[in-house]
Amino acid sequence: MAYNYSNINDYDVLVIGGGIAGIEAALNLAYQGYKVILVEKDLSIGGKMIHLSKVFPTLDCAACITTPKVSETARHPNIKIYTYSEIKDIEKLGERYFTATLVQKPRYVTDACTGCQLCEEKCPVVVEDEYQWGLVGRKAAYIPFSIANPRIAAIDIENCTFCGLCEKVCAAGAIDFTQEEKRSTIVVKSIIIATGFNLFQSERLSYYGAGKFKNLLTSMQMERQLVPTRPYNNVLRPKDGKVPDRIAYVLCVGSRDKSLGNPICSQVCCMYSIKQAQLLMGALPMADVTIYYIDIRAFGKGFDEFYKQGVGMGVNFVKGKIANISEKENGDLILRYEDIDSGVLKEATHDLVVLSVGILTNPDFEKLFKTTPLLKDDYGYVRQVSELLSPSKTSIDGVFVAGTASGPMDIPDSILSAGAASTEASVYMKGGAS
Amino acid sequence: MGENQKIPKILVFSTEKISDPAIDLAGLLKKHYPPTVYVVNVPCSSSVKPKWILHAFKKGFDGVFIAADGSDCQYSETCTFNTGEIVRKTHDLMKKKGIEPSRLKMAAICSVCSDPFVKQMKSFIEALI
Amino acid sequence: MRCRIGVYVCMCGSNISDYVDVEKVREIAAENPCVVLAKTTMFACSDSTQKEIIEDIKVNELNAIVIASCSPKLHLFTFRNVAERAGLNPYNYVQVNIREQCSWAHSDNPKFATLKAIQLVKAGIDKAKNSVSLEPIMIKAEHSALVIGAGITGMKAALALANTGTKVTLIEKEHYVGGRIAQWNRLFPHNDPAEKLVKTLYEEIIINDNIYLYTGAELISKSGSVGNFIVKIKIKPRYFKSGYLIEQCIEKAIESCPVEFDDPFNYGLTKIKAIQQNHIGQFPYYPVIDMSKCTKCGICTDICADIDLEQKEEELELNIGAILIATGAESYQPPSGEFGYGVIPGVITLQMFRRLIDLNGEKLIYNHKQIKRIAYIYCVGSRQYDGENQYCSRYCCTAAVHTSLIVKEKFPEIVNIHLTRGVRTYGKQEILYNKSNLQKDIYLQFDDTPPEISEENGMINIKVVDILTVKKTIELDIDLVVLVTSMVPRKNKELENILKLPIGRDKFYNEVHPKLKPVETMIDGVFIGGNCQAPMNISESVKSSLSAVSKMNALIGKGEIQLEPSLATIDKSICVWCDECTKICPSDAIIKTEYNGKPVAEINEANCKGCGMCLPVCPTNAIQLIGYSDVEIESMIDALASYSPEFTI
Repeated sequence: MAYNYSNINDYDVLVIGGGIAGIEAALNLAYQGYKVILVEKDLSIGGKMIHLSKVFPTLDCAACITTPKVSETARHPNIKIYTYSEIKDIEKLGERYFTATLVQKPRYVTDACTGCQLCEEKCPVVVEDEYQWGLVGRKAAYIPFSIANPRIAAIDIENCTFCGLCEKVCAAGAIDFTQEEKRSTIVVKSIIIATGFNLFQSERLSYYGAGKFKNLLTSMQMERQLVPTRPYNNVLRPKDGKVPDRIAYVLCVGSRDKSLGNPICSQVCCMYSIKQAQLLMGALPMADVTIYYIDIRAFGKGFDEFYKQGVGMGVNFVKGKIANISEKENGDLILRYEDIDSGVLKEATHDLVVLSVGILTNPDFEKLFKTTPLLKDDYGYVRQVSELLSPSKTSIDGVFVAGTASGPMDIPDSILSAGAASTEASVYMKGGAS
Repeated sequence: MGENQKIPKILVFSTEKISDPAIDLAGLLKKHYPPTVYVVNVPCSSSVKPKWILHAFKKGFDGVFIAADGSDCQYSETCTFNTGEIVRKTHDLMKKKGIEPSRLKMAAICSVCSDPFVKQMKSFIEALI
Repeated sequence: MRCRIGVYVCMCGSNISDYVDVEKVREIAAENPCVVLAKTTMFACSDSTQKEIIEDIKVNELNAIVIASCSPKLHLFTFRNVAERAGLNPYNYVQVNIREQCSWAHSDNPKFATLKAIQLVKAGIDKAKNSVSLEPIMIKAEHSALVIGAGITGMKAALALANTGTKVTLIEKEHYVGGRIAQWNRLFPHNDPAEKLVKTLYEEIIINDNIYLYTGAELISKSGSVGNFIVKIKIKPRYFKSGYLIEQCIEKAIESCPVEFDDPFNYGLTKIKAIQQNHIGQFPYYPVIDMSKCTKCGICTDICADIDLEQKEEELELNIGAILIATGAESYQPPSGEFGYGVIPGVITLQMFRRLIDLNGEKLIYNHKQIKRIAYIYCVGSRQYDGENQYCSRYCCTAAVHTSLIVKEKFPEIVNIHLTRGVRTYGKQEILYNKSNLQKDIYLQFDDTPPEISEENGMINIKVVDILTVKKTIELDIDLVVLVTSMVPRKNKELENILKLPIGRDKFYNEVHPKLKPVETMIDGVFIGGNCQAPMNISESVKSSLSAVSKMNALIGKGEIQLEPSLATIDKSICVWCDECTKICPSDAIIKTEYNGKPVAEINEANCKGCGMCLPVCPTNAIQLIGYSDVEIESMIDALASYSPEFTI
């Protein structure tokens, strides 16, 4: 196969994934003078973090931290962002280069879009909004979410009825139904894998009734109910719109469970549950919040203090693994669990239950490479070949891993991991051993 | 309330990185607040001089609101305290000049706190009428 | 004052013009005597309009422009760039937000939205009139770094810095590099041998031309600021005259040295002499004399001609661009009596226990007794109920669990009993916990009642209220109690004073922000990595120090540092040096100087972040923030205050 060598100096580093780790790595490299191409499969960069409410243990608003980094990334002259795009067929090219195919999927809206949302207003199609985790609807012509970057609309072609209203109303003439998938070959010197994680699909657990019981939410759905830009502007029970007052958290859903093939701890669920519990106590001062746990893993800087703060605020901590959940007619949920304190099986009724779902690998990275695969570890994450001395090194020289692609971690750890990956990529490109 | 009653004018000191994005977001989501709310940007809510606030009252503003960084401040953990001090000092100066201290308010507005901002503005205007 | 201003009112398709009468806004703007030209435009941000603006600036010799469009968050940099391309200073550009903060916010009332837009544009014009041309401040930066502490964290950072082209001075207070890990020997999670790790790094360091390594070295002073620190380093002698040969005589000299004391490396399990050779896992392979213990008896000098007991300390002065602190942490030292420590002979710390495991052969012997049952008490010195260490020390659960695996492997007959407060083997470390369960380790858990320890006839008895078995009190007979002691901040007052390091609630060094600036300190150019910041394991420490490397390279790698020009300025003629501004400044950016014989304050531009916190505290109003000066802010207030009679209910 012949390569187009004319674009060999366009970029130094390919960063795959525009979540907080990818953004941090891209910025670090850009500030050191490297040309970075950042490829994100979603319509906006910002990853999962941009959708969070507040973050532990400081309770800063997540958007306050993410959006400045996101816009810094977007306007940095050394970073070229491709959203709604994917990377395929990475191969080594000689000793110091990689080639890869960049696939730009059509969003049917050009860069001329000003984000005015007129198309969204006029679009007659309503579908479930994946960015609100299905809590509310969105249009087929839509801006993904209010703080998306780029703030450019997209047409959800699968659900579009081609009524043409959006095209008519767009003053910028940005709607373009003739867009097609574009493929191009890029050449880079180094690659950073920042493909992030997937959340455990709680529907796998029939004994919890996830997907069946209306008042059973996942922690990400609760997160969306707690953000200032939340869909209902209040915390509500999905079944009847009532304000809940006995809320339960079930920890270790999909984590620390050999039977599910995920024996490891997800590292963040204890803390985000304690955080949500604290936010709930603020939003619903009359509500009781109970957290059912196996061990509380409040290990990071300021975490145990944050846990104690939760206890102090009146969050009820119950040591015991939930065996199953059943639904009452009024939508309340009954939790059966072995109460470790008393040693007996107990039942408790709650009117809203949150499953603190764990982190799983996002296996997308396995599909990136053409001939030599990137090795994974026992849990499906990108394998760290020198975990202690070079934590971001992978099985392929010149390919580095950042953030949760290498294992569960919280935001501060992801940011540090991205910092390490950018440094090791820089060392690699300078030809030095690291 | 008379037919042609003036709507009170509010000057908002907002910060570029934290509260201004929230005020932008309010507009973006078409959450309306009275048009007599005017925003002036500063880097940090702890940088507002009492002199500027008094100047605004002298020139005819009915209220001044500091949209504070609160704990999201990127410069200092003591931001909330510092901004509070500015308000306290200015309240003293206002009393001396016979300006009702309730005409100066502050509240922390995070970068996506569009609702709290709109609520603050509406209730402040109400209070000033 | 600028009086050749161009004004552009953007329609943003219809986003603005649907609610704001842009033509009316343009007309009124054009009435301003300083406005040379006023236009409306469909999309100000479009390529064609950008070109048009550039042309207008050149043809009409505009000295400032105002664009009334969307939020500056979206296009401030776009239009600053337009100004620059036209040869206009980017700071003479003013963006007026008439979309998010006007047309959209007041889409319910187009009449008022128009009135508000008019006033906002007026204020923008007044701001442009008073705007000053600013150039970014450039300061020269030394392309060199000082790394303090040559444990794994510091060594790894030094190598990464050196391999990306930065000159590094790496200093280590001890005479050997490697920090604490040599004492642990086998490292979790994969049992990597510490010696190999340290050796790999050490050997790379000594052949790297960009790194100067000094052992026995300490920082004694620092002056200057980011990019241009001047540091002084004191280097202790090893008391050996020459090079790298480990001569035969050294062994003899050590043998004949009369000064013998408890070896701190092995927590007193072995003895060491005043003349010392390195332990396994410590580098360089080169002896040293501990002068705090040496009596200068002279016996060794007769044996080894290479020994020189009169060697003096040296001092070194360096110019440094940035500093990384990687000084690590210490292990918690339990006070006498805590869980029987220091009182009951069979109670030792985890750190000492690891040395004991290594020093023992086939059987585990302590105090002349074979050990068969071990109890590990977790959270000693961390998560304290009353003590000051409230924090969780993060690494110790995994370290203890890993230790129990090593014990079982080496001494299969030993029973491990863990008394925990909830095992925190987060992430993949959980696998080690699973393994420990599989090898039939016993796990009990206590809560607010700490276990009681007593001793009778050489056997240790532990009473523990186990919350895993309905709070039953369980009694255990134990041969050895291992206190799983935490990491505590290193006591290093001198360094803290020299660098003015901010200390957190937990007494570790504090970052500016755990997510936005996790390796930066409030002192520009001073970074932190590893355990001096918080307890963490090796991999996490290395990640943090490598992160710091990336920030340091971005800062000093170009040889100069560009600073935003919007900084505070002090009018020295009216400053009365009350000290209020220095007290409130979060960035250590105000220095005391002299003006006309009186003490006054001055801004250190390299440190000032332009936050403006000093403005309101100045009693004489001597401080102005560039871009937010009194005249700029007050002229905007004037324009906004100009009353518009139509604003009625």
